[in-house]
Amino acid sequence: MGAGDEPVDRAPAVRPFLVTAGRVAGADADPGATPPMPVETQLVATAAGLERLDLMSFERHDIVAACRRPQSVAEIAAILRLHLNVVRVLAEDLAAGGHLSVYVPSADIARDVSVLRRVIDGLRTIPGSRGTVRDSD
Amino acid sequence: MVSAPSPAPGGQSVTATEAPGRAAPPLPVKMVVAGGFGVGKTTAVGAISEIRPLTTEAAITEVAAGVDDLSHTPHKTTTTVAMDFGCLTIDDGLKLYLFGTPGQERFGFMWDDLVQGALGGLVIVDTRRLDDCYAAVDYFEHRGIPFAVAVNAFDGHVEHTLDEVRWALDVAESVPVITFDARERGSVRDALLVVLDVALTRAGG
Ligand SMILES: Nc1nc2c(ncn2[C@@H]2O[C@H](COP(=O)(O)OP(=O)(O)O)[C@@H](O)[C@H]2O)c(=O)[nH]1
Ligand SMILES: [Mg+2]
Repeated sequence: MGAGDEPVDRAPAVRPFLVTAGRVAGADADPGATPPMPVETQLVATAAGLERLDLMSFERHDIVAACRRPQSVAEIAAILRLHLNVVRVLAEDLAAGGHLSVYVPSADIARDVSVLRRVIDGLRTIPGSRGTVRDSD
Repeated sequence: MVSAPSPAPGGQSVTATEAPGRAAPPLPVKMVVAGGFGVGKTTAVGAISEIRPLTTEAAITEVAAGVDDLSHTPHKTTTTVAMDFGCLTIDDGLKLYLFGTPGQERFGFMWDDLVQGALGGLVIVDTRRLDDCYAAVDYFEHRGIPFAVAVNAFDGHVEHTLDEVRWALDVAESVPVITFDARERGSVRDALLVVLDVALTRAGG
């Protein structure tokens, strides 16, 4: 990282296997297999998960607690200082146990004209006068 | 991966064990901001994000040359690299995430992780160090991700004209080359809109 980078919350180098008992999600773990859970995937605690919070240990507890409101995989990783792949694995486990709902966005979204239009319309409402200069202008 | 997701309205599949009516998350979409170190990626993300940019890590596993003395297996070293991001509420049901990622070729593994499903990419360029962006430009081109090249005009200081930049990068006519100011919200907004315009055209909109 250059001197100009000023991370707000730098996650420490966590060894994934310590937390996930040997399972590692993501491209590293199994190339060519199912693509990893996208980083923007939304995680939401279930009522059952919140009820059983006290029985959960460490990272599982923290993830479910942090997902009282919807959070992305990336946000959870940054906030809890966990490796992205650790969050992916734990999110799957927690979903399997009924403690977390995992909302995986469809990859087709990027080609969805109505979604693109909504993003464009939303961005246009952002104030700010300075624009861009284009070479074709 | 999450097992047997069922299609749900809004373009998401859910592994839910959930009573209906509980806080439904927004549909998340993302764009990638790439470029060399110090070109203004974090600045651009921070200028438009509604949260202070957060940083997380992606792992890179490199198989080192040579073998481990004891096990005679190749050395695998895992290093990590920081990736920062911000987000923006588009409307009630839609949230845009912006991921800033280093532009060097050896970080390509991170782009693979990130670009899956990305609406598009913005490649930020500092005209004093044009080479730094070649890898990112190549990557977006080869993966067919809609993108634009944005020259971050550090205090209006641009060492090459946009035509020169376009010529040097040798990008297709359909790839916009623009100047912007990474510190200005409106400028970042407009740069993202340029990318989305490419995406929309590509999607047939
Ligand atoms: N003067 C000036 N400084 C800038 C501009 N954009 C970024 N910077 C500064 O350049 C440094 C690197 O920017 P940063 O966003 O961290 O780059 P990154 O490595 O691409 O994330 C920071 O100290 C920024 O404040 C700009 O348009 N003008
Ligand atoms: Mg940065």
